[in-house]
Amino acid sequence: MRLTMKSLLAASATAMAAVMVAPAAMAEPPETDYEPPRMADGTPNMQGIWTNASLTTLEKPDNLPVIVPEKQAMMMAGMVEASAEADNAPTDPDAPALKAGGEGVGGYNRFWMDFGSSLAKVRGDYRSTWIVEPADGKLPYTEAGRKMAEDRLIEQREDFDNPEVRAAAERCTVGFGSTGGPPMLNVLYNNNYQIVQAPDKVAIVVEMNHQTRMIRLNEEHRPEMMDQWLGDSVGYWDGDTLVVETTNFEPDISLRAATRHRLYMSSDAKVTEHFTRISDDEIFYEFWVEDPEIFTQKWKGEMILRKSEGPIYEYACHEANYSLPGILAGARRQEQDAASAGGSK
Amino acid sequence: MKLNNKLYALAGVAAGSLAIVGAASAHHAFSAEFDAEAPVLLRGEVTKVEWVNPHTWIHLAAEEEDSEETVAWMVEGGTPNTLLRAGLNKKSLTPGTPIIVRGYQSKDRLCAPACKANGRDITLSNGEKIFMGSSGTGAPKDGTDPRERGPVQTELPDAEDM
Repeated sequence: MRLTMKSLLAASATAMAAVMVAPAAMAEPPETDYEPPRMADGTPNMQGIWTNASLTTLEKPDNLPVIVPEKQAMMMAGMVEASAEADNAPTDPDAPALKAGGEGVGGYNRFWMDFGSSLAKVRGDYRSTWIVEPADGKLPYTEAGRKMAEDRLIEQREDFDNPEVRAAAERCTVGFGSTGGPPMLNVLYNNNYQIVQAPDKVAIVVEMNHQTRMIRLNEEHRPEMMDQWLGDSVGYWDGDTLVVETTNFEPDISLRAATRHRLYMSSDAKVTEHFTRISDDEIFYEFWVEDPEIFTQKWKGEMILRKSEGPIYEYACHEANYSLPGILAGARRQEQDAASAGGSK
Repeated sequence: MKLNNKLYALAGVAAGSLAIVGAASAHHAFSAEFDAEAPVLLRGEVTKVEWVNPHTWIHLAAEEEDSEETVAWMVEGGTPNTLLRAGLNKKSLTPGTPIIVRGYQSKDRLCAPACKANGRDITLSNGEKIFMGSSGTGAPKDGTDPRERGPVQTELPDAEDM
C-alpha cells in the first residue's frame, strides 16, 4: 500500500468535509479498504475498458421507486433475460408482413441491442436513477430549460430541411444520448469506454462514436470561444480521486436524447466529475451539473463503471451513414408527393 | 406462491418499457428514414453483408412473385460492434443463405443501387433468428445478474416480502 502525503492530506480534508456537510453519505465515494493498483507516478491506475450498460436510467422512471427492493430488481433482471429468450425464439416463416402504421416503424431484433441486464447497485442499493440530488431522481429543469429541451426535440422530429438541423448523432459527430458525456450516460448499445493515463493527461475513448476526450491535468480551460463537441476538460488528482471539470460545449449537442432520457444542457454548462477506483472491477463515478439557465439547482449523479471485457471496437460512424441522406431524401420525396397530390386536384 | 397483482403490474410496466426500446431512438430516428405505411416482406438469398458503422446492411436478392427475376434489396440492422462483442462477425452470415425479412421500406423509395428497408425481423428461412440476442453486458459477474444464481426466477415474490 502506498499513501502519498498529498493523498493523506486530501483524505483528512475530505473526512472533515464529510463531517461538516450533510448528507455526508452523498458527499464522498463509499468508504473502502481497497488499495488500487498504481501508475509509476503513484496515481491510481484506472486504465482499462469499462462499461456503464445498465437498466438504471438517468431519471427515475414513474413506475419505480428511487431505491428498488432487491427482489424487484432481481425480477426485472429476470424479465430482461426472459424477453431476450422470447426474442430469440423462431418466427413463423409463413407469417405475413408487419402491419402498416400500427406497430410502429423501425427498431431491431434484440441481437443488435446491449443495454444491460440489471439495475446498478450503488452504495449497496439497487437504484432506478443515477440522480441522487435532487432526491426525487428527476432533472430539476427551470421552465425555460424544459421549454428549450422540448423545442429542440420538436425541431428534430419535424425539421428535415438540411443536415445541420438534424441531431448530432445522425450527423455522426458524437454518439447519441450523452454516451460520450460528460456526464457519460448509458444508452441502447456500445456503452464502453477505455481509460488511458499519462502523467499530464487522461484520455477517455468512447466507443460510440469512437471519440477521445482528452483531459488535460493541472491546466486552465481554453478560451470560451473554443467550443468542443465533448466540451473542454481539465482535471487534477485530489488524493486518489480524479477530478475533471468540463465546459464550453458545442451548442449542437445541447439536446442529448436517447431512448430513456432527454438531457438538455447549454453550451456554458459546467460538469464536474469524480472518478474513484473502489475495487478491481468498479470505478465510482460522480458527476455534478451546473447550468443556472437550464436547471433550478446544481444536480448530482452517482454511477458505477464496471470493468468490461475488451476490446473497444471502432465506431466509424461516417463510413456508411446511409441514414442521414435517407432521412433527407425521404423528406424530399414526401414534399414531392404532397406537391403532385396538390397539383392534381 | 400467490401472484400479487400490483407487483405484477409494476414489473410488467418495467418490462414493457424495455420491450419498446428497440422501436425508439437509436443512432437516428427510424420513423424519419422508413415509411410506417410501407411494410415489406422479403424472401431471398443473402448477396453481401456490409459490416459497417453506424449500421450493418444485409443485402439480398429478393424473389419476385410469379417471376424468375430477383430485386436487389438492402436491409438496415444495428451497429456491428454489439455482435462482435457477442463473438459474431460478417462471416456468420454468408452469401447464399436464404433469409426472410420483415420491415418497412425507406421513405425515399430509391432503389439504386438497391431498394432499402429496415430489418425489423430477420430470420433464416426456417424462422430461426440469424443471430441470437443476449441480455448480457459483456461485463464480469458482479452479483447483480440473476443468471449467476441459477435459473431465472419464474415465481413473483409477494410485495410484503420486498
